[in-house]
Amino acid sequence: MLVIPALTWLLVFNLWPSINTVILSFTNARPIGGGHFVGLKNFETLLHDEQLRWALLNSVIYMVVCLPFLTVLPLLLAVLVEKKLPGITFFRTAFYTPVVASAVVVALIWQWILDDRGLVNGLAEKLGVISGPLPFLSDQWLLLLSAISLTIWKGLGYYMIIYLAALGNVGRELHEAAAVDGAGPFRRFVHITIPGVRGTMILISILISVSALRVFSELFILSGGKGGPGGRDNSVVMLIQQYSQGFEGNLGYASALSIVLFFVTVVPMLVLARLNRRGAEA
Amino acid sequence: MRRRRLAPVAALAAAALTLAGCGLGSDDSGSGDAKPTVDANAKVTGEVSFQTWALKPKFTSYVEGVIKAFEAKYPGTHVTWLDQPGDGYDKKVLSQASAGQLPDVTNLPPDFALPLAKQDMLLDVAAADPSIKDEYVEGGVQAYQYQGMDGTFGYPWYLNTDIDYWNATKFAAAGLDVKNPPKTFDELLAAAKTMHDKTGGKEYLMSRLPGIGDFTNAGIKILSDDGKKFTFNTPEAAALLDKYRDAYKAGYMPRDILTNEYLGNSKLFTQSKVAWTTGGGNAIQDFQKDNPSLKGKVVPSPALDTPPLYVQGLSVAAKTKNQAAAIALARFVTNAENQAAFAKIVNIFPSTKASAQDPYFSKSDGTPESDAKVLAFQSLAKAKNLQPPVISGATNDFIGQQISLAISGKISSQTALDAAVAKANQLLTQ
Repeated sequence: MLVIPALTWLLVFNLWPSINTVILSFTNARPIGGGHFVGLKNFETLLHDEQLRWALLNSVIYMVVCLPFLTVLPLLLAVLVEKKLPGITFFRTAFYTPVVASAVVVALIWQWILDDRGLVNGLAEKLGVISGPLPFLSDQWLLLLSAISLTIWKGLGYYMIIYLAALGNVGRELHEAAAVDGAGPFRRFVHITIPGVRGTMILISILISVSALRVFSELFILSGGKGGPGGRDNSVVMLIQQYSQGFEGNLGYASALSIVLFFVTVVPMLVLARLNRRGAEA
Repeated sequence: MRRRRLAPVAALAAAALTLAGCGLGSDDSGSGDAKPTVDANAKVTGEVSFQTWALKPKFTSYVEGVIKAFEAKYPGTHVTWLDQPGDGYDKKVLSQASAGQLPDVTNLPPDFALPLAKQDMLLDVAAADPSIKDEYVEGGVQAYQYQGMDGTFGYPWYLNTDIDYWNATKFAAAGLDVKNPPKTFDELLAAAKTMHDKTGGKEYLMSRLPGIGDFTNAGIKILSDDGKKFTFNTPEAAALLDKYRDAYKAGYMPRDILTNEYLGNSKLFTQSKVAWTTGGGNAIQDFQKDNPSLKGKVVPSPALDTPPLYVQGLSVAAKTKNQAAAIALARFVTNAENQAAFAKIVNIFPSTKASAQDPYFSKSDGTPESDAKVLAFQSLAKAKNLQPPVISGATNDFIGQQISLAISGKISSQTALDAAVAKANQLLTQ
């Protein structure tokens, strides 16, 4: 009896939209006028959709590049700012500031920085490093790299804070004992700090993987909403948005794309969770 | 163990398939329902809702004046005016249509009206009002008539077109004569080369990618006669893209046009970064307001080849409970007198034939602003809708993406066009 409100909430706002997405993926539904059952046609179309192939490749590249950087760099930062030194609060705040800023605002600033006539190209040309502007926002791969860099820059502070909390649980006496035994800072980091925050690292890896596979804002804004030259910098979420918008939006196909995204997102989560379990058993 | 785990998944899939098989609503052809009928003799009285697009607060007094005049002309009527913000208007109309709450009279451009007309959500106003063909310009009426569908699904409200604007200073710097600007695409290309070569690649003339409108302008057939197949993947279209690709490769256009948002060329022109843009008859005022250093340096001329026709109109909801009043209101707002008054405060052009004689639109006072307005008005006579309304947002995006791949040289022009046509056909039939 007591669980009925929670259960109702769960059914209406969580489970039903998911089930409805599955239902829609087997139809040719439009925003107006409904639609009808088309069987597996949307999924057959997906198999031959070149745009989806690019989007999946971009999402995987995003994850593969972001994962090591955003797992290791924030940990190093956290170790650095953990020390109780004068003025350390300033550095903690500075590293965390990009997290507070909205993704849209940050992406717009980066667009201005990376534009052909932007800050980076302007400075590099003034210094004579380059003869012409580098196409950060108009070249397929440079645009993807720019978006990845933005994500890494913005995510550093967020994951640093999580690591800082985890580092507080690593026993200081372990470090002291290792130091007495002659272990240097590097060995202490490898043999004490890393094992101490292993669980947090796995959690962060899962969070990064999911975020990277579902990336939208950075790519959308840096590409001016167009998904880069020829739409080859689209992410899967951008494709879903493109297909579902407007009067003639194809909700059936967009739902099929959502299901693909769901499975693509679940796989790395399961792999990392299994790794975590194995590590804990070892 | 494994079988037990699979059971809920199988049940969910079965439920989904069962539910999906039930159907989701009406067939999307709209042909299953009877066409709405029109009673032209009903008395004009009662409540009627009227939805406009981003007219508040700038034109509040004008619209309120028109409404007041309508209510005075038809005693017993009461108009409820709804004005929606500029951003997200399509989403708003979409949600109203989905909920069956479309206002009685709604401002819809032809491409917004088409999907609603397909679903029998709009009234065939020509059936209620056969004089529409006599009172409004042909292009305006035709904009609301769609291939493969019978009827006219909106009263043309006001029109606009594009003319060309040139930066005189940049023309002079490149040794080009701004009094004799390019008149065709090929002349534009030649001028772009001159500007690039004479300024050491520092100045640009062109700054936009081609689109469907450019294909239409080049005489390329976009759609088959029955409106069921796209046909623009022709060698002529490929040749046009090749010209753009070569111009891009030679540096005659800024590199970031591949990712520029819509109206990029207009923004670049305002920022004095390019020497050419297209714009409406009143765009010159915006250029000079946003960048006062352009004052006296902007020279208007007729659009290259065939000018585009932009139409705004008023459609009547098929499910209106007050059909007579809704039709009367749409007619009243779009009549020659009200359109002319509106056009004088907003710099658009009336769609009524009677307005053609108005000297306000046809005579210039000699200023560049007035020249631009008259040029635009004169261009309307040969302006055409260059992009079929059947091209949806997703289709347009995909075509644009393929064009940008061709321009960047990543794929051949013919490959890009073939891919664009294949995808456009697929989206058309889905």
